[in-house]
Amino acid sequence: MAPTIRTEHLSVSYHRTPVLHQISLEAAGGEVLALIGPSGCGKSTFLRALNRLVEETPGARVEGRVYLGNMNIYAPSVDVTQLRRRVGMVFQAPNPFPFSIFDNVAYGPRLHGVTDAGELRRIVERSLQEAALWDEVRGKLRRPALTLSGGQQQRLCIARALAVDPEVLLLDEPTAALDPLSTEKIEELIANLRGRYTIVMVTHNLRQAARISDRTAFFAEGRLVEVGWTRQMFTAPQDPRTEQYLTGRYQP
Amino acid sequence: MARHYLNVQLTELEQELLRMGALVEDQLRAAVRSLTEKNSALARQVIRDDDRVDQMEMDIERRCLTLLALQQPLASDLRIISTALKIITDLERMADHAADIAKVTLRLEREAFIKPLVDIPEMARLASSMVRLSLNAYVHRSTDEAETMIRLDDDVDHLYAVIFRDLLEIMRQQPETVSQGTHLLFVANYIERVADHATNIGEWVIFMVTGERQELNN
Repeated sequence: MAPTIRTEHLSVSYHRTPVLHQISLEAAGGEVLALIGPSGCGKSTFLRALNRLVEETPGARVEGRVYLGNMNIYAPSVDVTQLRRRVGMVFQAPNPFPFSIFDNVAYGPRLHGVTDAGELRRIVERSLQEAALWDEVRGKLRRPALTLSGGQQQRLCIARALAVDPEVLLLDEPTAALDPLSTEKIEELIANLRGRYTIVMVTHNLRQAARISDRTAFFAEGRLVEVGWTRQMFTAPQDPRTEQYLTGRYQP
Repeated sequence: MARHYLNVQLTELEQELLRMGALVEDQLRAAVRSLTEKNSALARQVIRDDDRVDQMEMDIERRCLTLLALQQPLASDLRIISTALKIITDLERMADHAADIAKVTLRLEREAFIKPLVDIPEMARLASSMVRLSLNAYVHRSTDEAETMIRLDDDVDHLYAVIFRDLLEIMRQQPETVSQGTHLLFVANYIERVADHATNIGEWVIFMVTGERQELNN
């Protein structure tokens, strides 16, 4: 059962400039939660706070708590590498390593100590299958990952994230750089991963959020304005700012 | 989304709905007038003009589907367009009832009325004003106007009950009036249905404004 990931009064600032104010938000186990909002609203920072990637940004300061299941991920005892194994991330532009397809997927498991060749092969195959890429790359696993198309590269990045057996997937505009056909494949993939993983996805594509998320959270100016069932929010949002944003009238 | 373009499109959609509503209202008035005046030429005109209403329904439907496909509207925009799709179905049904009434005119044109027609025109007047008020509520995005309009349905229902009772009494006492009496009962029933369709429109307007579906016609 995929765990919930939940923030309590999460605030983030960069060099003392606040970018997120007191966000309390939960992604339930196995659901797809979409984060939407105008550029600069803090949704990507929020996503990066969920696996402590935000700490890599110089001058970043995080307050409040983030719970993965019952564990506060900002507790001093937490091993960040272990945390990021459990909370995987896929970025906007596909970023495969300049290795073979196989080595891209095997990278994480090797990092976490898997050395057995048969075990690695099983993990690679399973991950590529889960990422709906296996049928296209079987027999070509030694080819450089960079020979794949953009859409395939992005699915490879998802396979790479899945290879270390994560529980939560963070997707930061995963289809922003892809053509409609590749976008459709990724969306279908996300729909198939729902339930097995807790998925939090930032997207600028409102129709994408509408198509694939269970719930949607609308951020504006570093604050959580509204969160609710996607089907409710996209037909009848409660907050006037959400209404303005969804109908293209939002002025910060 | 090109907000300005969508605004223009939504305004045009509104105008077309109002034109369709005005035509339906005219059809209703003309149908009832054709009956009270036994004017078969007018009745035939109403029956012919029903095609115009059907054409308008199809035009507005195509316009809505195009907007849904190309603009992929969300939130209130989505509700405005889907409400328009529901409204035209109700308007089209009302126009069908107007044509039904005109057909009764053609059946009764050579007969003397078994009673003076007073309540039926009054009921029709109420129902057609409900049509206009319901579309005003749509254009003004007003739940108050919709609720006020829906309350008129009670008056229509009351008149329907009166007409029903009167006609039944006449038919009981003079069995030779049964044929015409039944036709007039149908007419009253058509008008009552028109008011129900106007009530539906009012409920859709409330959904459009609030996002909540309510049954108000109990």
